[in-house]
Amino acid sequence: MALIEIENLSVTFTTAGRKVRAVQDVSFKVEAQQSFGLVGESGSGKSTILRAICGMAPITGGQIRIDGKPLPTPRGRAFAAQVQMVFQDPYASLHPRHTVDRVLSEPLAIHGQGGSDAKIEQALIDVGLPPAFRFRYPHQLSGGQRQRVAIARALMLQPQILLLDEPTSALDASVQAETLNLLSRLRAERGLTFVMVSHDLAVIDHMCDRVLVMQNGQAVEELSREALASAAMTTPYARALFAASADRMLEG
Amino acid sequence: MTTLNAWLLDPNPKSRLQSRAGQTWLSWLRFRRNPLAMIGLGISVALILMSIFAPLLAPYDPIAQSLPDRLLPPLTPGHWMGTDDFGRDIYSRILYGSRITLDIVLLVILTAPVVGLIIGTVAGYFGGWVDAVLMRITDIFLAFPKLILALALVAVLGPGMVNAVLAIAVTSWPPYARVARAETLTVRNSDYIAATRLQGASSLRLIWGHVMPMCLPSVIIRVTLYMAGVILTAAGLGFLGLGVQPPLPEWGLMISAGRKFLFEQWWVATMPGLAIFVVSLGFNLLGDGLRDVLDPRSAGK
Amino acid sequence: MTLLSVKNLRVTFDTETGPVQAVRGVSFDLGRERLGIVGESGSGKTMTGRAVLRLIRAPGRIEADAMTFEGQDLMAASEPDLRALRGRRIAMVMQDPKFSLNPVMKVGAQLMEGLRQRDHATRAEARAKAIAALEAVQIRDPERVMEAYPHELSGGMGQRVMIAMMLIPDPDLLIADEPTSALDVTVQAEVLNILDDLVKTRGMGLIFISHDLRLVARFCDRVLVMYKGKIVEELAAKDLLQAKHPYTQGLLNCLPRIGGSRGALPALDRNADWAR
Repeated sequence: MALIEIENLSVTFTTAGRKVRAVQDVSFKVEAQQSFGLVGESGSGKSTILRAICGMAPITGGQIRIDGKPLPTPRGRAFAAQVQMVFQDPYASLHPRHTVDRVLSEPLAIHGQGGSDAKIEQALIDVGLPPAFRFRYPHQLSGGQRQRVAIARALMLQPQILLLDEPTSALDASVQAETLNLLSRLRAERGLTFVMVSHDLAVIDHMCDRVLVMQNGQAVEELSREALASAAMTTPYARALFAASADRMLEG
Repeated sequence: MTTLNAWLLDPNPKSRLQSRAGQTWLSWLRFRRNPLAMIGLGISVALILMSIFAPLLAPYDPIAQSLPDRLLPPLTPGHWMGTDDFGRDIYSRILYGSRITLDIVLLVILTAPVVGLIIGTVAGYFGGWVDAVLMRITDIFLAFPKLILALALVAVLGPGMVNAVLAIAVTSWPPYARVARAETLTVRNSDYIAATRLQGASSLRLIWGHVMPMCLPSVIIRVTLYMAGVILTAAGLGFLGLGVQPPLPEWGLMISAGRKFLFEQWWVATMPGLAIFVVSLGFNLLGDGLRDVLDPRSAGK
Repeated sequence: MTLLSVKNLRVTFDTETGPVQAVRGVSFDLGRERLGIVGESGSGKTMTGRAVLRLIRAPGRIEADAMTFEGQDLMAASEPDLRALRGRRIAMVMQDPKFSLNPVMKVGAQLMEGLRQRDHATRAEARAKAIAALEAVQIRDPERVMEAYPHELSGGMGQRVMIAMMLIPDPDLLIADEPTSALDVTVQAEVLNILDDLVKTRGMGLIFISHDLRLVARFCDRVLVMYKGKIVEELAAKDLLQAKHPYTQGLLNCLPRIGGSRGALPALDRNADWAR
């Protein structure tokens, strides 16, 4: 049985009396310890799916099951301990007036876990940050360092599933490489399951076993990594997206 | 001094206290570069010192009457600000009056902004009907002219300083609620709130620990800018005889008493008027300076 | 022929904790060509672009041994002189059209504003020129776009409108700061093609500022690679893959590739000497 099962998911936002169908009838499954990619351009609904899993978008149809069980609404603490998310912009996802220490100790406090001093220092070491950064504020960190803090926060509760919403698109190329390496290492060490959203086919190809191409809220085509690398896509849109990313090919 | 400076500016603080102190120190360095704000701070500190040391600084008892000395003009030896119609030294009365002004200001700070902050953040965070109900109540309070509402309250409760403070507090919380709500609306949908909510945080924890710290700077700025208004309203109530009662040396009351001789003995009303003017100006300058330092938008990345 | 000449440009910010140098001695000459400036965030590439127009606010300071645009000394130019240059002779396209267009003004009105005020064009003339400019950036229904508000446009459309607006006064130099970073890949290509055509047909100089080395290499004639406020390498775009400086090589190598190895990506080992 797959760890994450999404069946005919639809999300509809209502703004100013107008209905926007952000996600329409999307289905996919992610096995435990797999890494699944969602790729598409802006407005394709790829980030909305992650938000729907977290209960931050209005689900109007279909079902999301984790471990075979439908998710409760609101999601609750058990969900928090199982699924966490890393956001796109590390400048927006850390509270500007909280120190790293506070950011990392908060999940422990919420879940009533003790021993926070040792756990925070270990969490910083795990994401490759010196423990001396513990009492810094976000504005005293670079973008890459902030994203590492955000990853450390997501892992504080030892979740099984990590949802990654364009985790490197706001970072410089060299920092992106370091962050992707960190994520790969953490996945291998902890047996994490990833659902990763990106607009960059090369990043998705590097990180994911399978990928779902999306456009205008609909699933276009699901590809294995091999099919992606050998350009074996069958739909015109997936092909166009691939062609536009030509300079991200191996030889180029 | 250099070791303290190094400790404050250490890029790797060893404790929460040190990192907070370091941030405060940086804010102070930024604040210090604004000369007008420093003047405002100077006036505010002078007001506090004046009220603490009034008994030492004042040459006369502010209440004791001395009818032979009544209505002496300024620069009379011994009474450099002159005397009022009961022969009381105006300088001494202004010094003691600063205590009353400060009392009122402090009591208002401890009530109105706190109530406004709570109502505003709760309304902004939950939205929906909670927001609608709380903000309509706010609108009702805003719709009354402030002084009229304060007058009505004092008329019901009876005159006196505590009641005056109460009346001012009741009439002055709505702007803080508005400010806090507006700030909450911009913060509510941010990623860091979403991330914390995803961790299972309760609404109380989010409002208290995450939303309020972001609203606090705007509210503090608003408090200092509005402080002048508080002093003026208190003086207004005093002037109308509904605040602090004679013979206490409240500044508004002193102006009211001097009104009768405004054309012949101008100093009786002018001296406390100047005091109100200087202190109000000081708080305004302080507020402007704080805005540059505290406003999260100007702080930037 | 040299359009813009910059000698030893420095940009310094005075902060509470002392001066911070964002640009530390940058020199280059630009003809009617496409020059790319590449670097990571904090490399000073954006500040270099802004400094050419003297668009840096206090507490920032601009210093240079010389900075001339077609023989005119930009360092000595007065604020009115600069205003005459900005927009008319030297134009700038920013990263995100959302922040560069006035949200409460129709696109057409914004396009016509400059023509009406600066060139004293009649309404009809201004309108004709604005529509021509929109057509030049391959907007299919310019009449509709003229009547739209910025929020009604997609990102790619907004960026085209920005480019159209910058091109109306027929500038000699266009500074484009990450003009396509906020756009989807498929739209990116279209916008780049438009820019490319315009530069070729009008013979403009172009400074193209970007973090994307591969994009710049494909699009420009010459590339300056910046690191911590300095130019570490200057090379012809076609020679990019033969870059000598370890920083440039590192930037190229650390990108993931479709079909590439899934092992760890080579990290960029920063050498303190590069910043010297």
